[in-house]
Amino acid sequence: MEILSNGLGLSAVVFLPIISALLILFIPKPYESVIKGVALLSSVVTFILSILVLLEFDFSKASQLQLGSKATWIESINANYEIGIDGISLPLLVLSTFISVLAIIYSLEHLPEPKSPKGFLALILVLETGMNGTFVALDLILFFVFFEIVLLPMYFMIGIWGDKTIRSVSGLKKEIETRLYASIKFFVFTLFGSAFMLLGFLGLYYRGNKTFSIPELIEIGSTGAFTGTFATLVFAVLFLGFAVKVPMWPLHTWLPDAHTAAPTVGSVLLAAILLKLGSYGFIRIAIPILPEQAKAWAPAIAILSAIGIIYGSLACLAQTDLKRLIAFSSVGHMGFVMLGIASLTSVGINAAIIGMVAHGVITGLLFFLTGSMSHTYHTRDMGRLGGNMKLLPKTGALLGFTAMASLGLPGLAGFWGEFMALLGAYNPLQGLNIVIFRSSMVAGAIGTVLTAGYLLWMLQRVNLGEPADEWKDKELHDADNYELAAWIPLVILTVLIGIFPKLIFGATNDAVVDLIFKAFGG
Amino acid sequence: MGTLVSLVPLLIHWISYTSAIYVFQDSYVIDKFSIILKGLFIIITYITFLLSINFIESDKYYQGEYYFLLLSSLLGALVICSSRDLLTIFIGIELASTPMFLLSGWKKGDRKSNEGAIKFFLLGVLSASLILYGFSLLYGLTGNLLFNEISKQILTSSLENSPVVLLSAVLVISGLGFKVSTVPFHSWAPDTYEGAPLPVTAYLSVSSKAAGFVALILLMTSVYGISGSSWGIILFLVAGMTMTLGNLVALQQSNPVRLLAYSSIAQAGFIISPIAVSGITGNYEDGIFASVTYLIIYAFMNLGAFLCVQVLIRFTGSEDIYKWSGVAKSSPFIGVLTTLFFFSLAGVPPLGGWFAKFVVFRSLLGSGQTIGVILGIVGAVNAVISLVYYARISKIIWMDEQVQEYSEKNMLIENPIKVVGLITVFITVLSGIFPGIFSNLGDIASTFLNN
Repeated sequence: MEILSNGLGLSAVVFLPIISALLILFIPKPYESVIKGVALLSSVVTFILSILVLLEFDFSKASQLQLGSKATWIESINANYEIGIDGISLPLLVLSTFISVLAIIYSLEHLPEPKSPKGFLALILVLETGMNGTFVALDLILFFVFFEIVLLPMYFMIGIWGDKTIRSVSGLKKEIETRLYASIKFFVFTLFGSAFMLLGFLGLYYRGNKTFSIPELIEIGSTGAFTGTFATLVFAVLFLGFAVKVPMWPLHTWLPDAHTAAPTVGSVLLAAILLKLGSYGFIRIAIPILPEQAKAWAPAIAILSAIGIIYGSLACLAQTDLKRLIAFSSVGHMGFVMLGIASLTSVGINAAIIGMVAHGVITGLLFFLTGSMSHTYHTRDMGRLGGNMKLLPKTGALLGFTAMASLGLPGLAGFWGEFMALLGAYNPLQGLNIVIFRSSMVAGAIGTVLTAGYLLWMLQRVNLGEPADEWKDKELHDADNYELAAWIPLVILTVLIGIFPKLIFGATNDAVVDLIFKAFGG
Repeated sequence: MGTLVSLVPLLIHWISYTSAIYVFQDSYVIDKFSIILKGLFIIITYITFLLSINFIESDKYYQGEYYFLLLSSLLGALVICSSRDLLTIFIGIELASTPMFLLSGWKKGDRKSNEGAIKFFLLGVLSASLILYGFSLLYGLTGNLLFNEISKQILTSSLENSPVVLLSAVLVISGLGFKVSTVPFHSWAPDTYEGAPLPVTAYLSVSSKAAGFVALILLMTSVYGISGSSWGIILFLVAGMTMTLGNLVALQQSNPVRLLAYSSIAQAGFIISPIAVSGITGNYEDGIFASVTYLIIYAFMNLGAFLCVQVLIRFTGSEDIYKWSGVAKSSPFIGVLTTLFFFSLAGVPPLGGWFAKFVVFRSLLGSGQTIGVILGIVGAVNAVISLVYYARISKIIWMDEQVQEYSEKNMLIENPIKVVGLITVFITVLSGIFPGIFSNLGDIASTFLNN
């Protein structure tokens, strides 16, 4: 279709949500159903558009950037509105529009307190623009702006609708509500990373022919133009910016707080999409533009990932709070993604992308489930839960299924990312220190065992056994239709990707092979 | 209204612009630099009038004088933009700041207002004498008042590194440092801002400051430009200290006006950084581009921030931000505006402030100097620190539990204020999404040295 191939389609995928968000702001508060209708409609239309983009995408040329366009944006600094997708960004873009639809469906009936559909839905839509935009941006400045757009809505989502329990924080005299602490911590951590990332972008701009265009910079970078202290510094600041977002150990501390404090939909979007912005940045920007530096840093990234995997799993074993457990499991899963990336092989990066998608689907679902459960039980303390299968059979069954998927059961989506990341780490790019990578692989393998351990233990404590006395006389509502409408598609996707990983690899493989070839030669 | 009408000749000049026009023996010039900045000053003053209408009426003070004084100050700012000799620029600087001494003490019965005005007056006079002394050194050295002639003389008699020129530059930097409140000459600002009527404070922190920056840009580039390597390092230290100190102190403030005072001190640090670094490299165009672009965007977001503070103080009846809890829920309009302006000041995309900070970083790193990179890192850290206190306001008004009931009647926003709010927010958001419009102005302004 003409209209898709000249970049209008992609632009619509990016900007439709934010335009609808503005529209929502002008609808008076009492018209709740209109507000919800507009939000749902715009997210569904965006999703359909992204599917049309997917259909229009030429998979035989998946390594090339397609369906994009380029227009002048800020002339005086030579920053352009340059967009496009290839096999790497396509699955992530579709994932982002897909999860956004589910998030809005869920929010139609299950708004967190204080109920204010107008603000909440508008924020989700602004968030969606930021996420979609990051995946299609091909200009560093454009990328930066989209990367940062997500901060404000997420800050307010956590801060206004988040967890209101009072907690004490070391270093602060007064006790503070979890949501307030978590929201500002999230904001400051990410902004810290990205402020330096921006300096790095500027460095590339001045050394690389004064262009911010990512494809052009990749061309320049693959000829080995960026070297020496300069390149080391630039990679270091880019690493900082992306690693905070992923998050990699030891920059992860904002994550458990933010995830635990966020309202259900907030945690879903955080886990499913926002974390991927960081790892996507590594694949799209840091590695292809600075291949030599990536090689130099890869062992360090592998070690940090391995620590992240082990640390995340051990932290999970120590949790009593169900939602916090899932949050820490993200640290471990993203550790696998980063381990795959660090191997700098096509196997590893393919693993990273399927791992990102799978983690988005599975952990997104896990946050939906735990959010709904904590709403029903009014507690997330695993010591008090138990016998969930008997009390809430539908939710319990889904929780069991998703936990299996999350621990990497073969046949479900989570398996491929973990398995292939380990494979990549076993056989990293030539010239990388094999001892470090194989040790990281062993650590990762131990991590998978620990992951299975904490998830099964969680299931045992929450799902199995007899319900505690306190729940016996209470009327507990199992999942309703809105919830199931949001969850079932994720279940289906988990199975589909598990059985046909080619759904993802078909798109990514050519692009990844090409990326590795350009960056590191044959 | 008259203020807006004065934009007309300016527009005509802009449209029919062919080359710079020199009058009064070359001491007064109309070029694109001056037209752009004059336009900015006129719009700022007009916005200040709109902010003042209800404020001054409710005070029952002398309205006529109030507007007269503001207009005099505007005239001073306009003179600065066009002046190309030492005497004219001095008259401009003084004309711009003298009325502000009176205006800052406008609330006669208020002790804080009196204290602030006296402080401002004493330091203002001191700074004027510093500037004058700096000028007199130059005149004694070169026997000339015109910028071009002076800089030619310095060059021909190879006085670039003469200690007298450096001393003169330092005196001028110090004198103007008072006007734009850079560390260590910033101490008057918070007290004066707190005491003055709020629209005057807004004017002080935007227009007066901008006037000082324009004077600084003009003098540093076209008079002292050739000896940039000697004063550049001084300005570099001043810039770094200004943003760091301003931000660190702002973290502790609970009074919104003092908070904005320190925040505008920190912002001043950002505005002079490019000038400092371009002094060292000698590539002034980049520095002027960054500073002017920053100035334009800063003007609108800061005016907006003052507007929000003015309205919120009236709504809540309190000058303690911690007592503003939850007020945004009762008035989402002003809540959204406040959020946008303060996050823009913090430099969060997609609001205008990010681009302002970006061009500054760009000129710092583009210099290729280690010193520029160091200032860039200091700036990046500061941007993160500043987020904490800018975000705190949003946190209080949106996330904290409402403690007092607000009646609908008190929450009415007068039309002029609404208009200002919408204009400034429009520009703030627009400059973030399509920064090209504003950076083009900065780009055009930066070419004035070639004339």
